[in-house]
Amino acid sequence: MPHPQPGRRIDCRSLGIWVLALSMAAVSVADLRAQSVCLPLPRLLTLVPAGAQKPGDGQGATTVEVTVSGELLDGWEAGGEAVAPQLIFSHPGITATPILSGEGKPEKDRFLVTIAADVPPGLHDARMMTALGVSSPRVFTIGTNPETLRTAANTTPAQAFPLAPGMVCNAQATAQAADHYRLELQKGQRVVIDCAARGIESKLRPVLILADATGADLVAERRGGLLDFTAPATATYLVKLHDLSFQGGPECFYRLLTHDLPVGAPLPERQAAVAPVLTFSWPPPGLPATPITEEIEGADPKAAQQVTLPLDLGGRFFPAADVDSFEFEATAGEVWWIEVASERIGAPTNPAIVVERRLPAGPDGTPGAFEDVAELADIPPPIKPSTNHYAYDGPPYEAGSADCLGRLEIKETGTHRLQIRDLFGGTRDEPQAIYRLVIRKARPDFALVCWPLHMELRNGDRAALSKPMALRGGGTVSLEVAAIRRDGFDGPIELAVTGLPEGVSATGLRIPAGATRGQILFTAADSPPRNLASVSITGRGTTDGEAIERPCRLAGQCWPIRDGWSEIPFPRLLADTTVSVGGSEASPVTLRTTGAGGTPSAPLEVVEGTTLQVPLEFVKRAEVQGATLQMRVIGPGFDQIPGFEFDVAAPKPLAIDLAKLKIPPGDHAFALVASAVTKYVPMTAGQATPPAPTDIAEILVSTPIHVRVTPAAKEATP
Amino acid sequence: MEPQRRDARHVETTGPGRPRQAVRFPAAGRCLAAILGMAIATLAGPACAASIVPPERAVSFTADVVPILTKAGCNMGSCHAKAGGGQNGFQLSLLGFQPDEDYDHLLKEARGRRVSTAAPEQSLLLLKATASVPHGGGQRIAPDSEAHRVLLRWIGEGAGLGPSDLPALDKLIVEPAGMTLAPGASQPLRAIARYADGSTRDVTALALYESNDRARAEVDGTGLVDIGSIPGTAAVMVRFQGQVTVATFTVPHGTSLTDLPSPRNFIDEHVFDRCRAVGVPLSPECDDATFLRRVSLDVTGSIPTAAEAEAFLADATPDKRERLVDRLLASPGYADWFANKWTALLKNRRDDTSDTVSNFAFHSWVRDSLLANKPYDRFVRELLAATGTIVENPPVAWYKRVKEPKDQIEDVAQLFLGVRIGCAQCHHHPFERWSQDDYHGLAAYFSQVGRRSTSTRGEDLIFHKRGVAVAVNPKTSAKVSPSALGTPEGPIPADEDPRLRLADWLVRPDNPFFARALVNRYWKHFLGRGLVEPEDDLRDTNPPTNPALLDALADHFRQSKFDLKALVRVIVLSRTYQTSAVPLEANAADLQHFSHFLPRRLPAEVLLDSIDAVTGSSTTFANLPAGTRAIALPDTSYNRSSPFLQVFGRPDGQSVCECERVQSSSLSQSLHLLSAADIKGKLSADGGRADRLSKDGSSDPEKIREVFLATFARLPTDAEMAQAVGVIAEPRTTPEGQPLPDPQARRENLEDLLWALLNAKEFLFNH
Repeated sequence: MPHPQPGRRIDCRSLGIWVLALSMAAVSVADLRAQSVCLPLPRLLTLVPAGAQKPGDGQGATTVEVTVSGELLDGWEAGGEAVAPQLIFSHPGITATPILSGEGKPEKDRFLVTIAADVPPGLHDARMMTALGVSSPRVFTIGTNPETLRTAANTTPAQAFPLAPGMVCNAQATAQAADHYRLELQKGQRVVIDCAARGIESKLRPVLILADATGADLVAERRGGLLDFTAPATATYLVKLHDLSFQGGPECFYRLLTHDLPVGAPLPERQAAVAPVLTFSWPPPGLPATPITEEIEGADPKAAQQVTLPLDLGGRFFPAADVDSFEFEATAGEVWWIEVASERIGAPTNPAIVVERRLPAGPDGTPGAFEDVAELADIPPPIKPSTNHYAYDGPPYEAGSADCLGRLEIKETGTHRLQIRDLFGGTRDEPQAIYRLVIRKARPDFALVCWPLHMELRNGDRAALSKPMALRGGGTVSLEVAAIRRDGFDGPIELAVTGLPEGVSATGLRIPAGATRGQILFTAADSPPRNLASVSITGRGTTDGEAIERPCRLAGQCWPIRDGWSEIPFPRLLADTTVSVGGSEASPVTLRTTGAGGTPSAPLEVVEGTTLQVPLEFVKRAEVQGATLQMRVIGPGFDQIPGFEFDVAAPKPLAIDLAKLKIPPGDHAFALVASAVTKYVPMTAGQATPPAPTDIAEILVSTPIHVRVTPAAKEATP
Repeated sequence: MEPQRRDARHVETTGPGRPRQAVRFPAAGRCLAAILGMAIATLAGPACAASIVPPERAVSFTADVVPILTKAGCNMGSCHAKAGGGQNGFQLSLLGFQPDEDYDHLLKEARGRRVSTAAPEQSLLLLKATASVPHGGGQRIAPDSEAHRVLLRWIGEGAGLGPSDLPALDKLIVEPAGMTLAPGASQPLRAIARYADGSTRDVTALALYESNDRARAEVDGTGLVDIGSIPGTAAVMVRFQGQVTVATFTVPHGTSLTDLPSPRNFIDEHVFDRCRAVGVPLSPECDDATFLRRVSLDVTGSIPTAAEAEAFLADATPDKRERLVDRLLASPGYADWFANKWTALLKNRRDDTSDTVSNFAFHSWVRDSLLANKPYDRFVRELLAATGTIVENPPVAWYKRVKEPKDQIEDVAQLFLGVRIGCAQCHHHPFERWSQDDYHGLAAYFSQVGRRSTSTRGEDLIFHKRGVAVAVNPKTSAKVSPSALGTPEGPIPADEDPRLRLADWLVRPDNPFFARALVNRYWKHFLGRGLVEPEDDLRDTNPPTNPALLDALADHFRQSKFDLKALVRVIVLSRTYQTSAVPLEANAADLQHFSHFLPRRLPAEVLLDSIDAVTGSSTTFANLPAGTRAIALPDTSYNRSSPFLQVFGRPDGQSVCECERVQSSSLSQSLHLLSAADIKGKLSADGGRADRLSKDGSSDPEKIREVFLATFARLPTDAEMAQAVGVIAEPRTTPEGQPLPDPQARRENLEDLLWALLNAKEFLFNH
């Protein structure tokens, strides 16, 4: 998906004010009070309809009216005039203009969206630019089928909405009811019904039921799959659609597509779906789009398929309890890397591999038995995700996978057998349980993903929040970066950001050699202009003396989950990384070093092996709870510094013993992190009495602290 | 063998007098209660007068001493075999299943005071057992008894383990194994132990006896069976040193049958054969209205509508019952009703809000499986060997509810095999052949179930954990390989999910449990009583009342490839199922041979739905669509907010036993139906049946016809019609004595009529 307008600027003249009078704040206040663990952020939650048809060949742009809803999607004030929020998309070919009300004023939640002819079909991220900055995204589907919008209640057979094959129907599930659709089918006619829901970020867990005209169930599909039905008689049939537990409402939107297919034809492709976080590590660079060879299902399912290495093979875990065996010859001393993608290409599987070596034949000629050589299972998460216990004890993001990635060292020359099976597949006859098996010589590499830092170790906090990159003046936001290392790559990974909006700087805290975790800090100037840009985050490393650069995808939560016990966090990879500053509010606090010569970004220079004094400045724009903050350090090398208490009222310089940390000469960066509870006062909308302050716990990240360590002067030899 | 009257009783262990009555102890738990139910006698002289031990060999601790202690009740669960240290510091293994441990406890503990080879008579063992010193259990062995003499002799011989070359006990035989007896007859049993070398030994005096139906047959500690006055079939279990056998007694009703109807299928053949054998006649076939209501309730958990009843009664075609059954089996109501049954047994309960999605998913999977008529073996296989996450593979939810391997095997055994193996976790099963190794052999199939937590609280994903399946017998620390109730599995490769092997074994043609357990469970569902009772306790010592029928049903089920709808169809289309619930004088006492239909109260959910259907109202359940019926509730959480469901005994999904559903009647149920606010509200609901009928233009007889059809699926009799017409036309007054306007009076009269019909047994029972 192409990235949108890098460096685009939104005009604004009102900046850097913590408490700012703006219009339309009454709704905002009510929303804010629910947020006790994160400063208020704008979130785009629904688009109705959730997609549109792409222009046909030779056709110009198409337009569709879209209604949005969300949290804190207010506009701002410029030059004494109210400015409506803006709806923006990750593809520049999709644009939106507000629909004007009868008085000629823009409506804040209705837009006319124009889709240019060059917009590719698929999912594109929509966002709102608001007073507080850019919102969290919501996917918007560009499809090739005609679209319709269900407009009236259809919860009874009599109200059934007519479905036409090939038409996409946009709707939202009705709570405590089933939505009814009507299909007129001829005897023997086959329809396949596809409901896009989780794949387009809906909270709906769709249940599709094909019923007769009276509503009596005939076939049901409850796992989000396709409903495949061939009419036994010419008649009217009903499609009943509801949530698995009968939830409903605006957040349970869906797109229902009916295919008319000949009997025996293969199932159609599913509607486009967002990418789960774990897919960031697939495919490895340079891998062809399709496998070079395919698994051969022989008459004897236990017989091994003969292959040679290297191997790039596509296969299926089908039927249930399928075990695929491959035999190959290998020579002692060879080292191969094995990678399997199955879960990462959308199959509900848990692949596992065992490699065995055939032992010599017995004296009577009986074939030799096999002995284990290697066993490969899951790709471990580079950062341990939360266990969803009393409080989150890790990020609510899983970057590992049930797929396999590991090393195979051949100890003895001979015939080897690789068996691959699905640990979830004992009873599941699912043809879509596909896998791709790659056995290659080492090609050291890495893949990166990042996500907003989440609060940890706060008792009872199970909020998994969508956190758009909407910076406040003077604030620093950290992204946590996770790396999957391939084929023995163990060098450091430097993190960099390009395309930043004006007034925002970024610093990557390097992923050290062998490590899998790093950070990127985004810092807004104290009074930056309202602005946003789609940025590019990359990691750079060196392998075999050659520099490689890999993209780092941003992940986010689809919904602001405020209690992970009752609602399951649901993250995905975003189409792009949009960074903004809202300009309406400033960060409640800023922690920074005064830097060399009083310039915060200037590196502090220090000699190797000596003690570094870091002068700290704590800027309070709101009341902070407690006299001290429990501070920890992030950044390679410096993260060994034990946690310490930071005096809010009288910050003392931080003394760092470089000799103890064994910090080598060179340029380094680190930051300080704490949890802080501040008294937040929202924008007051010109009210005579400002709203009461709210206690909000937030992650406080210092501006990056740059250090230049110079080599110690060598003592002259006597 | 001819039955013998009590006064002509011949007991091989000759001697004057009657044996002493069995000692009774208070029950304490299921396993213990069962053990205590056995006839155990204080070992008195006359009953044990024959030589227990041949004089030519030394006394064996295992073969002679332990059986004496067992017969005397010393090693019962409530006495010295009590878990956690026995009684007063003296521990014995339950029923002597661990003689080596018992020997150590006797000889090596309590500073050797329990057995004194120097002064055998002063051994605490004897002094306590004979109550010569204070003993909490009283006198267990008479001082002059053969048992006492054997113990004394054993101690005198040095209290050793005894001969090491004694052959192993191979089989226990009871004579007679079965016979027909007249009411009031007595019959002594003879227990013969057969050993591996072919030798036999009369162990009548040492064996334990228990009747499975004390109303029909009592048995005392000597093996004397006393037949009661109720005709029917009863079995007496005999056990000795881990071996069990059973003697079956039939008490005929005494009617000579000449006019049994023609059998409609193999079920009738077996039932009629049995009726013929016991001399119990069949009640007539039920009428159409009764059949319609009965089969609708049993197949779909719903009463027929007035329109359905009217149409069925008017249908004159000869195959209308067959067509009705096919229609019911094809309806979603069938799936709803049986999903309701299975999800309760599979413990689909909600303990936390976070269970909601998984419970709905699991319920849906069960319901959809039934709707699609998924073969039962596949259904069980998908459940047993489930892997993945609940949303992607809902049967995984069973592993959320049943987390411990111990519970997994016990639930699987009881639910799908009809075997209650829980006792064998700690000791050899007292009534069965199951040992601890059998228990842990079954557990080994579940030893490679891997779990990993998911982002949903309390929910794991399930996967096959690579490794060789093995369990450990905690008693012996021995590794136990997978073994399916006596069928060793053989080696299972580390890469293979052992649960799939268990699923394979379930459906093997020679599996003696799987098909029988299901058909017996379904038989009870439709006929009100299992061929084996309880329906999930199939064992050699609890024989079916009609073994040939049970086998035939199981064969039919296997041959149909485990087709549940085919099973239901063959049952409900049998003449047996369609027999009237009205008993004849000659079969009124029969509860075992299905000579008449056994009426039963409507289950809680069905009753609530039926009241809604009759009154034209609906019950609202939290967060579910309006109109959701109680039989379609996805889990048990709705019980908490519904006094009705609680009072009428909807199960809470705590147990794998059908007995968790309370089907008995109670005062609170009667009061609820008579006066609860929700019932009143349904009767008087706006838009309800009474309201509608009071306003429509139909005549009073038409209204009454509809009410009777909706309630009883039949037309009113002339007398009922006349009485009901009078009720509807009755004038009413306000509490102040003012006459009510006619429309309102008629509405309230109709409410009264409905209320009266709802409280009739004809409505409350499936008959």
